[in-house]
Amino acid sequence: MASKVLAAAVRRSLSPRIPTSIRSLSTAAAAVAEPFDETAGISMKGVKISGRPLYLDMQATSPVDPRVLDAMLPYFVSRYGNPHSRTHLYGWESDEAVEVARAQVANLINASPKEIVFTSGATECNNISVKGVMHFYKEKKKHGVGALYMRRRPRIRVEPQMNGGGQERGIRSGTVPTPLVVGMGAACELAMKEMEYDEKRVTKLKDRMLNGIRDRLDGVVVNGSTESRYAGNLNLSFAYVEGESLLMGLKEVAVSSGSACTSASLEPSYVLRALGVDEDMAHTSIRFGIGRFTTEEEIDKAIELTVNQVEKLREMSPLYEMVKEGIDIKSIQWSQH
Amino acid sequence: MATAVPPPTRTEIISLFRSLLRSAREFSDYNIREYTKRRTIDSFRDNKTLSDPSSIAAAFTDGKSQLQVAKRQAVVYSLYAPKVKSIMDIKP
Repeated sequence: MASKVLAAAVRRSLSPRIPTSIRSLSTAAAAVAEPFDETAGISMKGVKISGRPLYLDMQATSPVDPRVLDAMLPYFVSRYGNPHSRTHLYGWESDEAVEVARAQVANLINASPKEIVFTSGATECNNISVKGVMHFYKEKKKHGVGALYMRRRPRIRVEPQMNGGGQERGIRSGTVPTPLVVGMGAACELAMKEMEYDEKRVTKLKDRMLNGIRDRLDGVVVNGSTESRYAGNLNLSFAYVEGESLLMGLKEVAVSSGSACTSASLEPSYVLRALGVDEDMAHTSIRFGIGRFTTEEEIDKAIELTVNQVEKLREMSPLYEMVKEGIDIKSIQWSQH
Repeated sequence: MATAVPPPTRTEIISLFRSLLRSAREFSDYNIREYTKRRTIDSFRDNKTLSDPSSIAAAFTDGKSQLQVAKRQAVVYSLYAPKVKSIMDIKP
């Protein structure tokens, strides 16, 4: 009896969900399927927004390409062998996949597969390279996996930072995570195929963003070189605006101030300081990251929201008012508290 | 060249193009949907000038495998679609 009641309750709680998930498969119905979401929105950490923010924080992490996910999923679902297992098919097929991925990574940077060591990410790569004292080339970090390029000849000796089963020629012990490594290989192959297309497009979007903001605001400075620069990173300082306040006001745009490594502190990014950015300008910096999946509409929306917020903050700023009246801020002697 | 794949017909190419656009619309994720649409259109435009039958056949085979990926992933994405939509999908 009790189980019957329970089953009915479970069915009841499940039944409204089943049709929505099926319905969302057909696009025609998807638009009308969830009227509830539109009004509810999201409320988190005291912030209320009507929808998921548009994502422009590609230097923190970026969405996984569906083609990459498609390559990874079989190794999560059915091909779960340990690539270091030598006694059965599960191990063999995983090992083969890891070696294919190693070749894909090597191919992208014109190296030999023998020169690629899989790690857990950029931090581990840096630790092996720097603590092992050697010439190194850091490759990319991505979602919990990394690859280190280690020149074969002349040979380099490194001290392993992780000891254990002697995987990755003893340089990085620990089971190689097949699905992640397969994903990294697929991402590298895709990057090679799409590099020209992506680069053109990301550059176009970056220019659109910079021009769109500069057309409507003065006192906007690009941090870092404008020529020797990865187009997908636009780090801007907005004079007379406090970066944290600007970020707080940009709820519908997911961006970071300065470097993600220092997002826990209110100190200006040490990277910007090292680039020679003045302390006051470093405090007003925002990093916009543009990627493969960013759209023109998102850029336009980000411009609009950023410009509105900067204008609003400047209107409230006594400093900006003084500058407009022609007072040189740097000449002011501020009294000590 | 006994193994050479015969080049696809015009109808087959147009049908592949339409299928790819249709699979793009199936994506619940705003960014993936827009990308799939855009990349499909741009690829077909870029390949318009192909004249060599073997490169046409290769591009067609590649497109067909991309379609399979898109169809599978549209299902995966829909299974884990967040309840709240992207602000880009909410019309003011």
